[in-house]
Amino acid sequence: MFEDLVKTTAYKKGMPHQRFTFVPHPVWGKPASVHREYIEGKDPITGKPVMQEIIEALTKPLTDEEKKTGFLERTEPRIVGPDTPENLQQLFLKNGWTDGLPIVLPTEKKVAEMLKKTSHRPDKLVGKMRPSPPHEAWEYTVEKVAINAVMAGAKPEYFPVILAIASTGITSLFSSTTSFARMVVVNGPICDQIGMNSGMGAMGPFNHANATIGRAWTLISRNLSGGGTLGETYLGSQGNNLSYNNVCFAENEARNPWKPFHIQKGFKPEQSVVSIFTGWGITHSFGSAKKEFHQQISSLLGSFCPYSSGTSVAGALVLVDPLVAKDLKEVEGFDTKEKLSEWLYKNTLMTVEDYWNSGLVSTFTLPQAQLGVEPFASWLKLPKDALIPRFLSPKEINIIVVGGETNAFWQAGDFRYIGSASVDAWK
Amino acid sequence: MMFQELVRTYAYKKGMPNERFTFVPHPITGQPAPICRKYLEGNDPITGKPIVEEIVGALTKPLTDEDKKTGFLARPVERLVKPDTPENLYRIFAENGWTDGLPIVLPTEEKVAAMLKGTSHKPDETVGTMQPSSPHEPWSYTVEKVAVNAVMAGAKPEYFPVILAIAATGVPSLFTSTTSFARMVVINGPIREQINMNTGIGALGPFNEANATIGRAWTLMSKNLDGGGRVGQTYMGSQGNNLNYNNVCFAEREDRLPPGWKPFHVQKGYKPEESVVSIFTGWGVIRADTTLTEKLHPQIPFWLQFTPFSGASLFLDPLIANQLKDEGFETKEKLVEWIYKNTQLTAGDYWGKYFHIANFVLPNAKKGDEPFASWLKLPRDTLIPRFSSPDRITIFVVGGETNLFWQAGDFRFVVSASVDKWR
Amino acid sequence: MKKGINYSLIGMFLLTSLLFVNALQAEEAKITVLNPLGQPPPIALVPMAPRLGTLDGKTIYIVDVGFTDTHQFLVEMQKVLAERYPKANWIVRTKIGTYFEDDPKLWAEIKEKGNGMIMAVGH
Repeated sequence: MFEDLVKTTAYKKGMPHQRFTFVPHPVWGKPASVHREYIEGKDPITGKPVMQEIIEALTKPLTDEEKKTGFLERTEPRIVGPDTPENLQQLFLKNGWTDGLPIVLPTEKKVAEMLKKTSHRPDKLVGKMRPSPPHEAWEYTVEKVAINAVMAGAKPEYFPVILAIASTGITSLFSSTTSFARMVVVNGPICDQIGMNSGMGAMGPFNHANATIGRAWTLISRNLSGGGTLGETYLGSQGNNLSYNNVCFAENEARNPWKPFHIQKGFKPEQSVVSIFTGWGITHSFGSAKKEFHQQISSLLGSFCPYSSGTSVAGALVLVDPLVAKDLKEVEGFDTKEKLSEWLYKNTLMTVEDYWNSGLVSTFTLPQAQLGVEPFASWLKLPKDALIPRFLSPKEINIIVVGGETNAFWQAGDFRYIGSASVDAWK
Repeated sequence: MMFQELVRTYAYKKGMPNERFTFVPHPITGQPAPICRKYLEGNDPITGKPIVEEIVGALTKPLTDEDKKTGFLARPVERLVKPDTPENLYRIFAENGWTDGLPIVLPTEEKVAAMLKGTSHKPDETVGTMQPSSPHEPWSYTVEKVAVNAVMAGAKPEYFPVILAIAATGVPSLFTSTTSFARMVVINGPIREQINMNTGIGALGPFNEANATIGRAWTLMSKNLDGGGRVGQTYMGSQGNNLNYNNVCFAEREDRLPPGWKPFHVQKGYKPEESVVSIFTGWGVIRADTTLTEKLHPQIPFWLQFTPFSGASLFLDPLIANQLKDEGFETKEKLVEWIYKNTQLTAGDYWGKYFHIANFVLPNAKKGDEPFASWLKLPRDTLIPRFSSPDRITIFVVGGETNLFWQAGDFRFVVSASVDKWR
Repeated sequence: MKKGINYSLIGMFLLTSLLFVNALQAEEAKITVLNPLGQPPPIALVPMAPRLGTLDGKTIYIVDVGFTDTHQFLVEMQKVLAERYPKANWIVRTKIGTYFEDDPKLWAEIKEKGNGMIMAVGH
């Protein structure tokens, strides 16, 4: 299935006639004898011998087509003729402009209403986004974002939040084969102003703002960066069920005994902010009467992926119900979220052996270690049963308070923080 | 404090609208006796009145005429909504809590009639009954009611037998527990190709109309057909569960099962050519970070550290499934057996770490139920199987083979239902 | 090249919307849709037990539903009530099993020996 991906990537890079050969998949984990078989065998797509294809690709002279220079114009399909709302819904669906669920058709009137809730001009550039680093980045304007916000079903008063998310340029449908999920947490006065849910059922499908804002991000990621095209700009082998809503909710600031997340990141309390996280899954914990919360949380984090590479670092995000937060502060003595992160960092350990055996560590961190990057290089030299911290620093362990206090539970995900953006800037 | 609504509406539904209550501060779990006394000697946080006075008043004050009423409380539901413009109707549906917050397709008579063509069953036939959890009242619903919700979700008529099958199980996707459950629906059989479901790249994600709308229809049905999903009354999940948006709705990748590995429905006794929905319950899905520099199967137990009260579901990309077959697991059953035997925890952790074990299993162990009674007597560091039987462990094959990855969830099987029955 | 794409995309959406305006005007008429709500069952009213007038000489049961780690609250409740109303007989009992289970034996005993009941959910 990589044929499509390879051909369209080359095309987008201006090399539509680049010559390729394919071998059987997978290559990863196979012994040398199998690799030899692959090379001495046939290209599974064309049926021709691999070696022959390679030699021909290197030696056969270029055709006139292949010698062309200039620009490739890409004309986007245009909608022809008047049509019924029915047919337009079907067309949007067929063209891959939705997530499969019904949309609000972006009429001129609806888009205009959405645009009223920002002071920015419709043609102002909001940002640029790409499905993942190798792909081309597309730029988009306030109006483009408005169209997708309308489609998602968002109310105009949600628009500054959606613009803020769009301004980060971060896609919710990252193209990695690992099937990433993304999360957006909203802080500040905007949450109450637009009626977001930070209490009972906050992460579930019970609130218009939480639902449509999260969804808008998925539509933006598809339509404004060419993302979400299976096999080309989305390669997640299995996909991630959290991508439907991108875990969109508001932190419960009223019942948070500590500082709200945005203040921890340097914003003022009266500022409204969106914060983005990336990871894969969320685990639920209901605790037990016996151990204290902080120990139970540490135990839960002990099963999260610890990999780090130059640009990305393993993270943990703990989502505590206000009842748990209260106990952690008043009974267990963690005056601040930072103190809790510090404790969790120091006490969530793993053996060196387990660390180097972790899948993503062996793929992404080992090369760094071998190049001499610290602390990984030193960890390579430690005995197998030596204990090292699972997370690189306390900063990688974040705490958010959310929930309706019907019970002292928490959830935690292998999510790391990647950035925040001001909502006020888009009002 | 938020339990007031729950308590009052619940009493009302049980036919006791004027039942007398008193509230004390929350929580009580784990509070020592002096704190309990302080609560009791203080005031009801809702009314402000002294608690003891309220209790005694509730027991002794004479009944009013209202209190003495008998008979029935009827709660009729009109078949049609009062005619209005589409704009207003979208707003009314959203404000009434009849949606999940996302745009719907308005269920006009025409649209519902088109949906009803997707089944041979009559509109007024009863499909099943559903309740947000066992203490709540069960509601029953017809083919037409399911059609209305299917239209709202954006489903096509050809998806309708699948949605009816889900409705027929009577299992809600929104369970009221404070633990914020998730539910999962997996589809097997020929219907998958017939309605073009996604079993490959991105199968669990928002990339396919059938996967998206069928999963969503279940959420809408769970709100509207059993009075569920009313936050604070029939939904008490403290934080909610993000998987409830789509209820992990996907189809198993039957065409890429390793030879000898059966599709899930065949494991459950259905024929390969039958189409089936299977329901699972749990809380979360995680990514298993395994490596291929060593054998895969010994790494599996580490990623299944789920509550023993539930189960484990493994979502294997076909490449992973084939790798495991190469490691000697001729069938899914052999793999399940190995996982069951080799996924263990200490007796101490079993009894000490898990809320559900303490709440639901410990009382039964104390009563003498086996094997729990014996496990209670074991030394704390004895290893016991994490899951109570191989039945609690499920293997699915799904994915587009872009890499050797897999996911796992703390989901256990609940029930299956025939889709063909509803064609 | 990229600008070309941007304009054409805007053009496409605006074109949609221009086409749309006519359709929308026709749609502002009222329409009829079906109600998605299922039918809740009728509720049979359960008449309330007659009240006691006085607690003197009466036996009141305090029944614990059995949430984890909350029994101490019920015990304390019994103590407080007994201190203030010593002429009544206050008895604490725990319902069998988990909170979902019924306990007909206990209800029979209360009907026979008791004059009133407080059902307590310690959460």
